[in-house]
Amino acid sequence: MSSDGTEGSVSTDHSPIIRFDHASFGFPGLIALKDISLPIYDGEFVGVIGPNGSGKTTLCRAVLGLLPPVEGHLHIFDCACSELRCHHRAQIGYLPQKGVVDRNFPVTVLETVMMGRYGALGLLKRPGKKDRQIAMDALAQVDMVSHKDTALGHLSGGQQQRVFIARALAQQPKVLILDEPTTGLDITMQHNVIELVQHLHDELKLTVLLITHDINMIRSRVDRLVLLKTRLYAAGPPAEVLKPEILHQVYGKELVITEKDLVIVEDYHHHH
Amino acid sequence: MLDLLAYDFMQRSLLASAMVGGLCSIIGVFVVLRGLAFVGAGTSHAAFAGVALGYLIGWPPLLLAIVFGLATVWLTGWVEERGRMKLDVSIGILYTTTMALGILFIGLMKSYNAEVYGYLFGSVLSVTPEELRIIGALSVLVLSLLLLFAKELYFIAFDQEMAEASGVPARQMFFLLLTLVALTVVVSLKTVGAILVFAMILIPASTAYQLTHSLRTLTLYSACFGITTSVVGVLISAIWDVPSGPAIVLLATAIFFTAVLFSPKRVKRTGVVHSH
Repeated sequence: MSSDGTEGSVSTDHSPIIRFDHASFGFPGLIALKDISLPIYDGEFVGVIGPNGSGKTTLCRAVLGLLPPVEGHLHIFDCACSELRCHHRAQIGYLPQKGVVDRNFPVTVLETVMMGRYGALGLLKRPGKKDRQIAMDALAQVDMVSHKDTALGHLSGGQQQRVFIARALAQQPKVLILDEPTTGLDITMQHNVIELVQHLHDELKLTVLLITHDINMIRSRVDRLVLLKTRLYAAGPPAEVLKPEILHQVYGKELVITEKDLVIVEDYHHHH
Repeated sequence: MLDLLAYDFMQRSLLASAMVGGLCSIIGVFVVLRGLAFVGAGTSHAAFAGVALGYLIGWPPLLLAIVFGLATVWLTGWVEERGRMKLDVSIGILYTTTMALGILFIGLMKSYNAEVYGYLFGSVLSVTPEELRIIGALSVLVLSLLLLFAKELYFIAFDQEMAEASGVPARQMFFLLLTLVALTVVVSLKTVGAILVFAMILIPASTAYQLTHSLRTLTLYSACFGITTSVVGVLISAIWDVPSGPAIVLLATAIFFTAVLFSPKRVKRTGVVHSH
């Protein structure tokens, strides 16, 4: 409990676009996140870390407006979570945790990305040339234009992740939320995906919420880290959050800090 | 055979079967993609219970079929959304309960009623002009709604949570799809019967699914299979005097297994593209 989440290197001269105010999520008796107070500012790159089951995905679903708080308040674009309308949701691009893609689902890469336009377009409107152009631009951002007519099921896991990121971009979002985008990818692909996210943040000035287990990979890239374990344990610049005493509180003995200040997840006892 | 086509009843039944075949196979595409196969099976039995009740109390059977069908799909959808119970369990219970009601209603009837059995096993050759009009009107309604909301239904079939997160009213679209499935089942009751109607929704779309990676082609193939098997099935039924429902469904099944044998997807399974 070292921080109330308001400190950080980002200027606070404007009001946050996402604001948690003593918000709790879950069901009565089964609270996944408790008493969260956290502002997220326009253009920030925020990394969300914490052990398994610490409420990271719950935080995602809340920001998407899919899970209103049971206590406290959550405001997204100055709108209460429960009042978030479809056109607000369209401004938040989301890459869910990697699920199993039905290999035979009849959909091409371009069609997948075009789905990102559907919410923004609204009902009863057919996507036109402009939407197609936006989708093609999104594919170009993730370097997948040459695969536009390939069946989605024929791509590798890393390529599918890029396509899903392109779909989120096709929404022309203000906020991009990525839930463990590197899980199940090989090490090169992991770096590629994280670099792509960094690039999108820099180039498109997107507010990015990146949920991950890989603290080392993102520590030098994010503006702020948010450390969760049902409660908000710390939020601030990586150097302030990644302190041995804080990490120890959250991760217990599984995590050590080496002399070079690298975080390694392993059994503490083996070193003593 | 040309003599047969001169009869009014034959023209009506061919028209009815073509409409039902087309409608079932097109909605079937979304049912197969969204994984609602079992929901349709449950709905057809519920709709049959509605028909039986209609004959028992002297109300319009198709109206009660719609009421029973809608109640079942909405309850199913609600249970799935709540995640309280596994979908196959809840449908299994509804499926057998409504069938039990149907049998009970038949048992309560004072006399044997051949028309009720027509709805159970299908008797397209006895479709009346009024029934044909109802089938036509409901087909137009269902197809128009499918066309209007095709892009949303496609998205929720692919990934409903993702669709909702990106600003598509996914829950409403899911209930729309369930409603359209229920209406389709009711429309088809007279043609193929409650027990077999679901084959008409599932088989043409599954056959087409073996053959293509494009939604457009998938829908087109499915409609072609559906209409062809229905019309040819009715002709077989009339010429050789066999029941129409089984004739249609067995024909569709034969085509399905042929498609499985020659599916390009089966061939591709060993040759996935691994470009980096």
